[in-house]
Amino acid sequence: MCEAAEGSTTGNRGSSEVSLRTMGSGFRSREASSAPTSGGPGGGVVAPEAPALSRWGSGSPLTRLVRQREFGIIAVGVVLFAVFSLASSGTFDSFQTWGGIGSSAAELGIVSVGVGFLMISGEFDLSVGANFAFAALVMATMVHDGYPPIEGLLVDLGIGIGIGLLNGIVTVFLNIPSFIATLGTYFLWSAVVLIVTGGTTITILPPTPTLLNVLGGFIGDQMRSEILWWLGIALVVGVVLHRTVTGNWIYAIGGKRMAAREAGVAVARTRVLAFVLCGMLAAFAGAVQLAHLGSMSAGYGSAYQLEAIAASVVGGCALTGGRGSMVGIVVGTVILQMLASGLILSGVSPYWYQAVVGIIIIVAVAMHTRIGAVVHGAES
Amino acid sequence: MSAPTTNDEQEHAARGPLWLEARSITKQFGAVIALSDVDVSFSLGEVVGLIGDNGSGKSTFVKILSGVYQASSGSLLVEGKPVRFHSAADARAMGVETVHQDLGLVDSMSIARNFFLGAERRKGPFLDLKRMERETSAMLREIGLGNLRAIGQDVSRLSGGERQAISIGRAVAFQRKMLILDEPTSALSIQETEKVFEFMRAARDRGLAVLAVMHNLTQVRDVADRFVVFYHGRKIADIVNTGQSEQDLAHYIIEGKLAEMGIEREQVDMGVIRAITTE
Repeated sequence: MCEAAEGSTTGNRGSSEVSLRTMGSGFRSREASSAPTSGGPGGGVVAPEAPALSRWGSGSPLTRLVRQREFGIIAVGVVLFAVFSLASSGTFDSFQTWGGIGSSAAELGIVSVGVGFLMISGEFDLSVGANFAFAALVMATMVHDGYPPIEGLLVDLGIGIGIGLLNGIVTVFLNIPSFIATLGTYFLWSAVVLIVTGGTTITILPPTPTLLNVLGGFIGDQMRSEILWWLGIALVVGVVLHRTVTGNWIYAIGGKRMAAREAGVAVARTRVLAFVLCGMLAAFAGAVQLAHLGSMSAGYGSAYQLEAIAASVVGGCALTGGRGSMVGIVVGTVILQMLASGLILSGVSPYWYQAVVGIIIIVAVAMHTRIGAVVHGAES
Repeated sequence: MSAPTTNDEQEHAARGPLWLEARSITKQFGAVIALSDVDVSFSLGEVVGLIGDNGSGKSTFVKILSGVYQASSGSLLVEGKPVRFHSAADARAMGVETVHQDLGLVDSMSIARNFFLGAERRKGPFLDLKRMERETSAMLREIGLGNLRAIGQDVSRLSGGERQAISIGRAVAFQRKMLILDEPTSALSIQETEKVFEFMRAARDRGLAVLAVMHNLTQVRDVADRFVVFYHGRKIADIVNTGQSEQDLAHYIIEGKLAEMGIEREQVDMGVIRAITTE
């Protein structure tokens, strides 16, 4: 999908490469006559000595760490961890607990990877919860009715891609704000799920198919394989986000869409791609939850759209797009899940969970804005 | 028919070869004629200051040159060959880079990522950030921006003049032939304006044709090698900068020097005459 885009920039890339090499010689005649200061033949690029320019990239590893936008939220995570470890008298920091936290966080985590990625591009997807349930219910029905689970998974992913594509097309080509467009598709798919299933829960009876064990079976005492899916997906999408042209374009589009367009970025296609990724990951998270629980119902995942936005925001994604990181999105999810588990293990009523999440969101965003002001020198 | 451009002006000093010619450009929006039969030529190594009041057609003209609008009639020639710019991407591919008022930079991204946006350096499937930073520093140093704070820093940290400089540097680095700046100094302090002018001259001295749309007559005198004056969709003057005073320039725009330039009365909209006599 990106081949064409990247191909089309090859011309620029090639020519500018030449440019930097030959700049000095190309204009030498003019410069020689007016200002013979610009190096000898072929001396296009001067020796790399600009202390001021490299200052930012340097500094001790610690200073660079502190400058990271995620630093603050990681610090919050560490503090929470310490508090819960003390309050739970040692049960919180055990490996079992963390296997459990990770496994419980995995589905939200996978949804958040897509939602956060999309948020960095400047868009929302409020339909992920409905997408999650709809795609997984279709898969559950297929597995229940004896179709090969792999076919069920492919259909699940196909539904997610389709829903994401629709969200993207409605937002990008009908030019409707994604908040509204996906609010619409959220209601639409929520209704379709109920119409199709009549609100029943579909349970997959043992023996559990191998594929479901691969997606969400136990791989340890408390730990399930879904944690590996989550971290693997976060890693791959994180590399795409931070280290590829597509990711660079996501940041540019979220930061200033007009500037991205003027620079030759394939804006419409990249925006739609972000919706498709988000939809696909929501559906995959649904499949993982089906594998985890062995059942699926229309109501499952219904809170995920807001929780995924919360995780992304806590992790440092700007609501307006252009800022955020994969590390932040993952840490944001971990913090939300840590709160849920930590409160219980500390003997606090779980009713407090939402109150604490609410406070953490506000504190985190205030902190990101502060850090942003110091590090980036402007609004974030 | 258009305003006079004497031949000796074409042979002006250090100017390079003719690059882009706009011939008899007319642009209509419905019944409204925004540009009427405009001829302007641009040479490499020359800064042209395009001046005129609001509604004079200068931004319509710039949009035609940068591919945003298409002329209703008339033609564009690059190096003597007719071209058509169907989109901004077309114009850029031909070598015309336009820096808009909002500067076209992404505030939340680093200088280096902005510099190479849309033409990213890659190593295999991945971005080659080190190389982009290295090349950006080298390029900015070449146009005299070596002491810009830090290449990995967000653009939001930079001043308006520094942002202009990055946009200009980008045009030079990617070997564009023509750089169009839309009101490049309207939001800048005096010192910053002077800085930006230096970068514009640096771009010119590297052989680019530079077109700056400006409304400040004092400033345009400092940077332009040639003035092109629009009024009501027509070119009413096209003159080499020989150190005319601001008053002289104003006169070119609004006074009897139109006649001196050889413009016949009937070519000029009666509104001009009225404006001239009441001024």
